Amino acid sequence: MKTFAVLQLAGCAGCEVSLLNADEWMGGYRLAYMPLVISAHDVPEVDLLLVSGGVRNEEDLYNLRRAAPQAGKVVAIGTCAISGGVASLGDRDDVREVFLADRERHHVPHLLPKCRPIDAVVPVDQYLPGCPPTPELFMALLTEPPGFKTGAIVCVECRRKKLKDMRPSRFAGFQRGEVEPDICLINQGFLCIGSSTRGGCRAPCPRAGHPCVGCRGPSDSLIEKESAVWMSSIRRVISGLTDIPAAEIDHELRSPHLSLFLFQFSDYSSPGRTPRPKEKVM
Amino acid sequence: MPALTFPLSRIEGHARVVIDIEGDTVTSASFQCTEFRGFKHLVQGVPAEQMTVIVPRICGVCSTAHHIASVKALEDAFGIEPPPLACRLRELLLLGQLIQSQATSLFIFTMPDRLGTSSIFDPVQEKDQDERSQLASRALAVRRVGTHLITVAGGQFIHPVKAVVGGMTSGIEPDAAAALSHELAAQLPQACELFDLYIRKSLELSDRIGTWGDDAPAYYLSAVSDSLPNYDGDDIRLLGPDGSVSTFSARSHRDYLTYEQPDYSYSGRTSYRGEALRANSLARVNLTESMGTPLADGYLKRFRAAFGRPAHAILLFDLARGIELVYAIERAIQILATPLNEEDTDIPYTPRDGEGYGLVEAPRGPLIHHYVIKDGLVADAEFVIPTVHNIKSIERALMVAARRYITGKRIDMELEHAVGRVVRAFDPCIACATH
Ligand code: SF4
Ligand code: SF4
Repeated sequence: MKTFAVLQLAGCAGCEVSLLNADEWMGGYRLAYMPLVISAHDVPEVDLLLVSGGVRNEEDLYNLRRAAPQAGKVVAIGTCAISGGVASLGDRDDVREVFLADRERHHVPHLLPKCRPIDAVVPVDQYLPGCPPTPELFMALLTEPPGFKTGAIVCVECRRKKLKDMRPSRFAGFQRGEVEPDICLINQGFLCIGSSTRGGCRAPCPRAGHPCVGCRGPSDSLIEKESAVWMSSIRRVISGLTDIPAAEIDHELRSPHLSLFLFQFSDYSSPGRTPRPKEKVM
Repeated sequence: MPALTFPLSRIEGHARVVIDIEGDTVTSASFQCTEFRGFKHLVQGVPAEQMTVIVPRICGVCSTAHHIASVKALEDAFGIEPPPLACRLRELLLLGQLIQSQATSLFIFTMPDRLGTSSIFDPVQEKDQDERSQLASRALAVRRVGTHLITVAGGQFIHPVKAVVGGMTSGIEPDAAAALSHELAAQLPQACELFDLYIRKSLELSDRIGTWGDDAPAYYLSAVSDSLPNYDGDDIRLLGPDGSVSTFSARSHRDYLTYEQPDYSYSGRTSYRGEALRANSLARVNLTESMGTPLADGYLKRFRAAFGRPAHAILLFDLARGIELVYAIERAIQILATPLNEEDTDIPYTPRDGEGYGLVEAPRGPLIHHYVIKDGLVADAEFVIPTVHNIKSIERALMVAARRYITGKRIDMELEHAVGRVVRAFDPCIACATH
């Protein structure tokens, strides 16, 4: 039987909780290490190592460096491990000062200057983005069911209709209670970024009436390009469906809504980093 | 003798216990949370309305509680009240959260302590085949029904999105409610069966170790009402060892609770007039008159007959969790039988600057979000986390365990197990505590 381990770095355990809903692996794998559910203190040799969470402190760094060589294959699980996730919001200069002030405390693992994705520390064989990835995606990763297919972008799975003749002239705000069913949220004045976001989640947020915030990261057609390209792609979609002036769209995209999905995307676009090859991203 | 360090597992997050010994005496026991992401800092300057999406990421185990606390804090700041249907839907969400969380704590985190295994996923020995057959998959199925409830009411079960300022994005269609109700009803006997096994194994454990966990009486803290506990709470109640109860609002929590920041942990620590506090299941069960649903009340009656009220022994936290698990399933079925799509689920509102508090009873106790909003952006945020209220109690209980198992120069190997049991009884959530 194949074995797998789950190493949790700085995250929220949401990725692990999602995995627990995907118990079909139980027939095909032995879970060798996952401190959330097993008392075991070291990562043994395993076929597959799933790593969730970002590298936030010295202990994360140490644990990741020690665990990765034990594994046949390393998979980065969830947005935190892949691109820093929500913790990247702390990488703004003003906020960082507060973190660094906390660094000198003696009896706790020291914080690193920046929260890092795991592929900045060890080689990663595969990426499973999502915040968290759904149980279905975990199952697909572990059991590789034949014919498993996902939509290229969230819009494909959302299936709300994009209308040409329902054109708001301004944004309606972040989210405003009950929305029209079946009609694209952009037509209703919300900044939904499902059109640039990788599908596979089955679009739970926009289907429930909440704009997609991009937690699965850029779609295949954008992932190897820089952020300016996916920005202009989002802008084009919004211009096509609304009469909101271009300047206003730009403004909303940069700020303040940007802080929302910046935390999902940040490390995809930082200058100087090589893009994750799309073949490796699930 | 050097300090003894115990790494911890089968809890949410990264923490360890350190016990200091001088000569023959145990001098201190500390519960050290070793992770930190800094949500208080990283939400500075974030558009206030986006908090409902950002803060569930504090914790994937109790994301629903953070989601709703956040919505309520904004509603308080904007001066609006959601319609009654939205409140019912939020109660459902929190019940789903409770099922998920209590089933996880009972059957995944603490059951192995009763079975003497390292996890419920361990291969089962031949002789235990009957009792434990399919234990893992049955436990996961009970847990999963809670996640389905959150999905239907909240859009998705980790980091839900359907609670929004002013209400909820939609109600629940009759078909979906009926299907869910059916699934809950099917899992209810499973949950009771697993809980009965859990009680039996807990009795064996307490016989073997000779205690249900010794400790002194404590203060108890909870935000649920006297009967049919509603986890979408509005006031906090504090039960003293003398039986007195004081009630206060989230807004005045600092008049009652004192917070300190030890330097060995990224988590703070709460006390009441210098005394240890307890939140979580046992606090609720001690404070609540009755659960108000038949099966849960049956369990509660037997619990009270055996252990009195208030009950103080530590392992009773775990049993109280089982009572709540049964209650949450029964209560959710009741709510799902009412119409959930015939009224408005939200009201219109205009955002404004100001200050707001949001309170819910999370699985681990009263959770408060407090935001100060300027120019539509978060200027300050405070997260008052239930686990933090328990830290002093955890440490006190660890001291008792350490003194029991460290005598003279001898350390009983049972200590390591005892440390795990004490900590897990409180079901601390480290991602939340340090946020
Ligand atoms: S990716 Fe999302 S769900 Fe996973 S650990 Fe990070 S915040 Fe939690
Ligand atoms: S833009 Fe958003 S709401 Fe519109 S179809 Fe795409 S995912 Fe759905």
